[in-house]
Amino acid sequence: MSGRKNESRKNDDLVLGKHRFVSRLLMGTGKFRDRAAMFKAISASGTQIVTVALRRFGEDGDSDDLLSPLLRIKGLTIMPNTSGAANAEEAIRAARLGRELSGSPFVKVEIHPNPHHLLPDPIETYKAAKELAADGFVVMPYIPADPVLAKRLEEAGCASVMPLGSAIGSGRGLATADMLKIMLRECAIPVIVDAGLRSPSEAAAAMEMGCAAVLVNSAIAASDDPPVMADAFASCVKAGRQAWRAGLMIRSDNASATSPLTSFLA
Amino acid sequence: MRNITKSLPEWLDPSQWISREYGSREIAAALESESPGPGDLAALLAPDAAYSLEILAHRARAVTRRHFGRTISLYAPLYLSNHCSSGCAYCGYASDRDQARRKLSLAEVRKELSALKRLGLREVLLLTGDKTPDAGYEYVEECVRLAAGMFPFVAVEVFPLTVEEYRGLVAAGCSGVTIYQETYSPADYKKYHRWGEKKNYMWRLETPDRALDAGMRWVGMGFLLGLSDPVVDSICLLRHVEYLRRKHWRAGISVSFPRLCAEKGGFKAPRPVDDKFLARMICAFRICLPDTPLVLSTRESARFRDGMAGIGISKMSVASRTSVGGYAGKVRGGGEQFGVNDGRSVREFCARLKAAGLEPVFKNWDAVYR
Repeated sequence: MSGRKNESRKNDDLVLGKHRFVSRLLMGTGKFRDRAAMFKAISASGTQIVTVALRRFGEDGDSDDLLSPLLRIKGLTIMPNTSGAANAEEAIRAARLGRELSGSPFVKVEIHPNPHHLLPDPIETYKAAKELAADGFVVMPYIPADPVLAKRLEEAGCASVMPLGSAIGSGRGLATADMLKIMLRECAIPVIVDAGLRSPSEAAAAMEMGCAAVLVNSAIAASDDPPVMADAFASCVKAGRQAWRAGLMIRSDNASATSPLTSFLA
Repeated sequence: MRNITKSLPEWLDPSQWISREYGSREIAAALESESPGPGDLAALLAPDAAYSLEILAHRARAVTRRHFGRTISLYAPLYLSNHCSSGCAYCGYASDRDQARRKLSLAEVRKELSALKRLGLREVLLLTGDKTPDAGYEYVEECVRLAAGMFPFVAVEVFPLTVEEYRGLVAAGCSGVTIYQETYSPADYKKYHRWGEKKNYMWRLETPDRALDAGMRWVGMGFLLGLSDPVVDSICLLRHVEYLRRKHWRAGISVSFPRLCAEKGGFKAPRPVDDKFLARMICAFRICLPDTPLVLSTRESARFRDGMAGIGISKMSVASRTSVGGYAGKVRGGGEQFGVNDGRSVREFCARLKAAGLEPVFKNWDAVYR
C-alpha cells in the first residue's frame, strides 16, 4: 500500500511555510482570452493560490494589468513569479519588486534563460532561491524534475519545490514520473507538479502518486470553457488526493499462486 | 538556383531542399512531423500544399494556443528619423526619393513616446533609416535611453551596429533588435541595394550574432516578401533561426512577415506574394517554430490581420504611423516609409481581438529584467 495512513484524517491542509491551504490546485493567470474568463476559472477551481508574472503587473486601471483585480479577490493568495528573469540577480530583483507591489511573501522563482522552451535553469534557480529564503520569502522554485536539486533547495530553506511534469505548455503530462517518484520518497517539503499537465486525469495521477498539489495554467486557459475545465481539474485533484490518502492497491501482474510454493517450510 | 546560393555559408545554404519535388506524400509527412525542419517547410510551401491550407491553419491555431494561450502581444513602431544614406530600390526612405526629411529632437521623441503611452502601449520599436552623420549611433542610444525610462520594453530597428555599439544600447535599456535580411539571395540582394553601407550582405547577415553577443535579449528576423523567391527565402530564414538558436542558446527570436507595400518611388514587387501564400507561410512557420513569436504589422490589411491573429500570429503592431512625428500630431511630419494598410485605432483593434476571443497584452516585460 502507498499513501500516508498515519497522517491525521481530519486535517489535510497543504502547508507552505507557516501558511495553510485547503485547496491543492494552484493556478496560473496568463494565456486567458480575457480577465472575466480568468476570474470565472479561478472561482470555479476553488484555488487559494494564483501565480502572476511580475511582467504582467501594470498600473491599476490598465486594461491588461493582472495584479490589481486579483488583489481585490478576498482569500486569494498572490504568488508573484519571476518569469522573464534569465539569471539569479534578475530574479531576486523581480521577487523583491513583486513583494513590494503585491504585499505577498510568496514567490515562484522561475528562471528560464531561453524564452522559447522556458525550461528552468537549475544553477541560477538554486542561487536565487537560497538568497530569497534567507530574506524571508516563502520560496516556491520552478525546477527540472531533479531529485538532488530538490533536496538542495529544501536544505536552502524553500517552502516547496515545483518540478515540471513535462515541458511548459507542452501538455505532455507526467513525462518525468520516474524522477517525481524519487523526489516524493525523499523530500520533506511539498512537491508540487508545475507545467505540462494537459488533462484533469493527469492531475489526478500526480496526486495519487503523492504530490502535494499541482499548478495548472495552459490546460485551463487555452480550453474552450475555462471555468468548466478548472472545475474538472479541481475535482480530479481532490479525487487523486483522496485516493492517495486511502492508499492505492498494489499493482501486480502476477496471479496469486493457488498452490503455495513455500508450504514445506511450515 | 544553385548559382544564386553557392556563395552562402553552409549553415544557411538552402540548395538541398530547393532542388526537390514535393508531392502529397511529403506534404502529409510534414504535417505529421514531430520535429519539422527545412524540408518540411519546403513541402508545406510547395504548390500542391495550397490545397492543405485549411488543415494547416487548424494545426497552426492549436500550436499557437498551446504556447501563447489566447493572447496577442502588442507594440508600436516609432520612426525617429527618415534621413537615409542607402539606396534600397523598394524603400520610401531611400536617399534618391523626393521625401520630406525629418529627424526628431529628443524633446519631440519624448512627445511621441508620451502619445504612445497614452494610447496604452508599453512596448516600442524605434526606427531610423540607414546611418547618416546626423542620425547615427549616438542619436539612437540617446533615444533608447529616453524610451527605456518610459517603456518596459524597448527595441530598435536601425542600421547594423558593431558589438560594442550593441553593448551600449543594452546598457541604455534596449531589449531587442529587429533586422531583416530583406532577401537571402545574394544576387537579388545586390540588385536591390544600389548604394550605401547596406550593400554589404554579410555584415547585415551577421547582425543578429553581434547583437546577441552583446547581450541583447531578443532579435526580430524576417525578409521582405516580394523581392525574391519566397520559398528559398523562407528556407534560409528558418535555417538562420535554427543556427542562431544553436549558437546563442539564451536568445529570444521572433519572426516577422513584412510584405512590400506601395511607397513613394513606385517600386513594383518583382515576386509578389498573395494573401493565400502569405497565410500558408505564417502557418508553416508556426508549425516549424512552435514556440517562436510570429509578428504581423500594419503593413497588412485589417481583414488579413484579423484573420491571422491567433492563427500562427502571436504578436502585432497597432495604430502605427510610419511617418516621422506621426503620433503626437503637433510635430511637423516627415514622409512615410510605406503606406499603412490597417489604420484602426488601438481601441478599435483591441475590440476586434476581444470579439475573436483574444486578449490584447500591452505589457509583457518589466524594466527589472534589464
